[in-house]
Amino acid sequence: MKAAGGTIEELRRKKARRNNVAGYMFLAPTLILFLGFILIPILLSSVLSFFKYNLITDAKFVGLDNIIKFFNDKGVMNSFGNTFKFLVILVPIHCVLGVVLAFLVYRAKRFQFFFRTAIYFPTVVTTASVALAWGYMFATDTGVINYFVRMLGGSNIPWLTNKTFVYVTIALFSFWKFIGTTFLYYFIGLQNIPDVYYEAAQIDGSSTLHTFIHVTLPLLTPTIFFVMITNIVGVFQIFDEPFLLTNGGPGSATKTVALEIYQTAFKEMNIGYGAMISFVLFLIILVITIVQYVGQNKWVVYDYE
Amino acid sequence: MSKMKAKMPQIILIVFLFALCLIMLAPFAWIISTSLRLPAESFKLPPQFFPTSFHYQNYVDVFTSFPFARCIFNSLKIAVIVVAANIIITTMAGYAFARIPFKGKNVVFMLILAGMMIPTQAKLIPTYIVMSKLGLVGTHSALILPALISPINIFFVRQFMMTIPSSYEEAAYIDGAGRVKIWWSIFVPMSKSVIVMVSLLSFLASWNDFINPLIFLSKYEMMTLPLGLKTLSGAMNTGSASIVLAGVAVSLVVPTLLYIFGQKHILKSVVMSGLKT
Repeated sequence: MKAAGGTIEELRRKKARRNNVAGYMFLAPTLILFLGFILIPILLSSVLSFFKYNLITDAKFVGLDNIIKFFNDKGVMNSFGNTFKFLVILVPIHCVLGVVLAFLVYRAKRFQFFFRTAIYFPTVVTTASVALAWGYMFATDTGVINYFVRMLGGSNIPWLTNKTFVYVTIALFSFWKFIGTTFLYYFIGLQNIPDVYYEAAQIDGSSTLHTFIHVTLPLLTPTIFFVMITNIVGVFQIFDEPFLLTNGGPGSATKTVALEIYQTAFKEMNIGYGAMISFVLFLIILVITIVQYVGQNKWVVYDYE
Repeated sequence: MSKMKAKMPQIILIVFLFALCLIMLAPFAWIISTSLRLPAESFKLPPQFFPTSFHYQNYVDVFTSFPFARCIFNSLKIAVIVVAANIIITTMAGYAFARIPFKGKNVVFMLILAGMMIPTQAKLIPTYIVMSKLGLVGTHSALILPALISPINIFFVRQFMMTIPSSYEEAAYIDGAGRVKIWWSIFVPMSKSVIVMVSLLSFLASWNDFINPLIFLSKYEMMTLPLGLKTLSGAMNTGSASIVLAGVAVSLVVPTLLYIFGQKHILKSVVMSGLKT
C-alpha cells in the first residue's frame, strides 16, 4: 500500500523518529541537570572514596586506606551509633504518636480543621530559625522550660548540656517540628478507610479501642509502612537539629553521620574520607529503599482497595 | 443526663486536643512576645506568651546590626528563581513522560525517580567539588543549579498530565499546532493546580534550606535568611536574645503566609506522595 511520500511503514518510522527527537528535546534540561547534579555527584562520591583529597593539592589514590580507616575510626563509629540511637528514639515516637494523634483528631467531631492546621504548622516553618529559639527556651539557667520545671517543684534540668537529656530535648523538638507530616499521612490514611468497616464494628458492639486495634490499624498498614520508611530515611540524614541545638555536643554525644560528613569534609578538609562516609550513608539508604520496594508488596494489607 | 454522659468522651477529647494545640503554638507566642521585650529583659522571668511590652526597636536593630535585609532579599531571590525555572523544566519533563512515546522512556523515568532517594548528604561533597570546579562556590548559583531538578516534582506533574484528556491535544494537532505549542498553551495552563502545588513545595524547601547555604556561602552579604540568623545568634551574646528572636519572627512570616494561602495544596501534596508507593 502506498501513501503520499512513502509506505505506511516508512511514515510510521518517521513519526517514531520524530517522537524520539521531541521526547529528548523536552527532557534535555532535566537530563543535563540530572547528569550534573545527581548522577555524576554520586559516581564521583564512590570514586573519591579511594582518594585522599583536600581540594587544593591533587587527589592522591590511596586504595582501600579510607575503608580500613573507616572501620577503625572510633569517631565515625560513634556517629553511626548516635544516629542509630536517634533512629530507635525518633522513629517509634513519630510512627506511634502520629497514628494516635491522627486517630484522636479524626474522632473529634468539631474543630478538626483547627487541630489539623495547628499540628501541621510547625512543619512548614524554617527549622534553623525555630531551632535557635528552642536553644534559648531550653537554656539551663535562663530558659522558659526550666522556669516551669522549677515552678512544678523540680530543679534545673541540663537540657542541652547533659549526654542523656540532650536526646530528650532533640526528641521533643523533633516531635514538635515534624509530627505534623506523619500525622497528616495517617490522617489521610484514616479518611480513606470506608465507613462500612466502622459501621460493621459498631453493629458488633466493638469499643473504640477495640475498633482502633482490630479495624483501623490493620487497614492502615500501607500508611504505617510508608511512614516508617520515610522516617527511617529522614533520621539517617538528621543534621539541622543536632547542628543547631547542640552542635553535636556535649562532647560528641549527638554527633550524627551527617554532622560527621560535614565536619570531616568541610572543617577538616578531608574530602576523600568524607565522600567515603557519605557513600556508606547512600548505601544504607539504598538498602532501606529496596526493602521498602519489596516490602510494600509483601507485608502490607491492601485488600480494601 | 444520659445524653450528657454520651457526650463526655467528645468533650474530653476536644479539651485534650485544644491543650495539645496550645502547646504546639506556644513557642511561636513566646518568640513573638520575647522579641518585643527589652534585650536586657529577654530572659526576665516569668516568661510571657503574650506581649507585655512593645519594644519595636529590636526589629530595627536586627536590620541595622546585620545585613539582614540583604539576607531576606537573597532568600527571596534564590527561591523565586528556583521556582520559576522549576516550572519550565518540570512541566517540559512531565509532558514528555506523560504524552510523548519515545524510545527508552521507561528506563529514563525510572532512573530519574531513583534520583529521588539519594540523600542530600551523600551529594554534598561531590556537588561542592563540581561547584568549585565551575568557580561557583560562594555564589547563589551553587544553591540554585542543583535545586532546578526535582524528581518528585517531575513525578507529580507527570501523574497530573496523564489525566488530561487527549481530545484537547488532538484538536490542537488538527489545527497544526506543534508539540511546543501544545505543551505551553494547553498542558501548562491546564496543570495550574499541580504547578501551584510543586511551586509551593520548591519555594518552602529553598527558603528553609540550611545545609547547602552553610557549605557554600561565607560572606555576610551573600547569606540566606536561616544562615544569616544562625550567624547573627553566634555573634551576639545571649543578652540580646530578643534581637535574634525578632529576626526569627521575621523569618517565619513568609512560610506562615504560604501556609495560610496554600494549605489546600500542601495537603494535596501529602495525599499524592502517600500514593506514590
